[in-house]
Amino acid sequence: MNTENIETKVIEFIASKVEEVDASTITPESEFEALGLDSMDRVQLLFDAEETFGVTFEDDEVKGFHCVKDIIDHISSHQPASSSNNS
Amino acid sequence: MRIVVTGMGIVSPIGSSVDQFWNAAINGFNGIGPIKCFDASNNRSRIAGEIKDFDPKSFLSNKQIEQTDRFTQLAVNAANQAIHDAGSLDHYEPRRRAVSLGSGMGGFATFESSAERKLKNRSIPPFTVPRTMANSAAAWIATIHGLKGANLTCSTACSSGGNAIGMGLDLLRAGKADAVVTGGAEACVLPLTIAGFEALYALSTGFNDNAQYASRPFAKGRDGFVMGEGAAILVLEKEDTAIRRGANIYAQLAGYGCACDATHLVAPDIDGQVAAMSAVIQDAGITPDSIDYINAHATSTPLGDVIETKAIRQLFGKHAEKIVISATKSMIGHTIGASAAIGSIAAIQSLRTGMVHPTINLEEADPECDLNYAPNTALATTLSTALCNAFGFGGNNVSLVFSKPNV
Repeated sequence: MNTENIETKVIEFIASKVEEVDASTITPESEFEALGLDSMDRVQLLFDAEETFGVTFEDDEVKGFHCVKDIIDHISSHQPASSSNNS
Repeated sequence: MRIVVTGMGIVSPIGSSVDQFWNAAINGFNGIGPIKCFDASNNRSRIAGEIKDFDPKSFLSNKQIEQTDRFTQLAVNAANQAIHDAGSLDHYEPRRRAVSLGSGMGGFATFESSAERKLKNRSIPPFTVPRTMANSAAAWIATIHGLKGANLTCSTACSSGGNAIGMGLDLLRAGKADAVVTGGAEACVLPLTIAGFEALYALSTGFNDNAQYASRPFAKGRDGFVMGEGAAILVLEKEDTAIRRGANIYAQLAGYGCACDATHLVAPDIDGQVAAMSAVIQDAGITPDSIDYINAHATSTPLGDVIETKAIRQLFGKHAEKIVISATKSMIGHTIGASAAIGSIAAIQSLRTGMVHPTINLEEADPECDLNYAPNTALATTLSTALCNAFGFGGNNVSLVFSKPNV
């Protein structure tokens, strides 16, 4: 999956998880708070993202996550070696 | 002080509204079938009373679904029905609206699935604990409906719902609440719970190919209980305030009695059952001969149904033969912590309609079960007072008495 694909997939994923937010307004820069996600929602979101994208978020790194781009960047930088050539 | 029932809601294997449930019960519908929610081919008991077509999306958001176990979803659905049926509780101050709920196993589906993940070194859902905890359902009912008074959960195995309703009665009598949303919920048709009850030789294993005949309380050839799932909720209020706000009054909850065997964790005991039934009759201020109907605990285990029959005979003497008894579990299986709440709705419906639902699969009774169990066909009869029994592991015995309003 290339970076553009990852971005699209992550935004689609976020759109399926947030309520009362127009999916078309979600961008990589969208902050979790603005998407109506409280601290427990973010923990649930990252758990679901692990399941969906087959990645692992370490506790220390997610502390600094505040927007959609943080998830996109993490997934992009943890792609399996075979697909990293495409990114 | 008289406490009355002004709202009811139910989700069960034979119906997901009071009318649907009661119509099915009166007609002796069978709710038992092969287990669908997991592959039970390695289990000795491969049948259950499951709720078909239950869709939490019809009343919960995606986020709420993610944060709730199935037992909570069933409880919330039944509570939504009951509170709507009661015509909302806005008449009362939020801090005077309480919840008293029973569940034997709580969010055991969540526990099982998270344990399975953790044992494989996988991460677990962040809501594992709040979904699993036994008071999760009570907390969600309160949160959704703004019930800001006491919020209690009782876990006494198969008598949980009975104790919870009794605790609700106590809250109102003690002046600690003006309205109580109360009942029981259970959703443990699950690999570990089925295996656990199998290990105790408590489940039916001889009717896997004839599921509809498996739950057969008081009948010859019964070989254990069939697991069921469900939820039932009552709204309780003081009679005077219920009348003042113009509520429909379905029945009076006249008494609550409980007793512990303190002899054995899982074996039933006549003395404990007699003690609970005696206590409820005393609490209701009536005499044994005023009981017209008993919604029996009657799980379809070889020992339990005989012990309950003997306990009824011991307490009621000759009057036992005049009492109509029926076993809701013959149609839906054993819904554990929900069973007494479901039985309470059956008892209340009997008082309202003058009909007693049958005990199905009772072509031939066990000679040791020699009372009138309303075999196979509903009975039309005049009823004023009904008793509902629930007995649970831990030696818990609970009896409730409902009577017609103004009796």
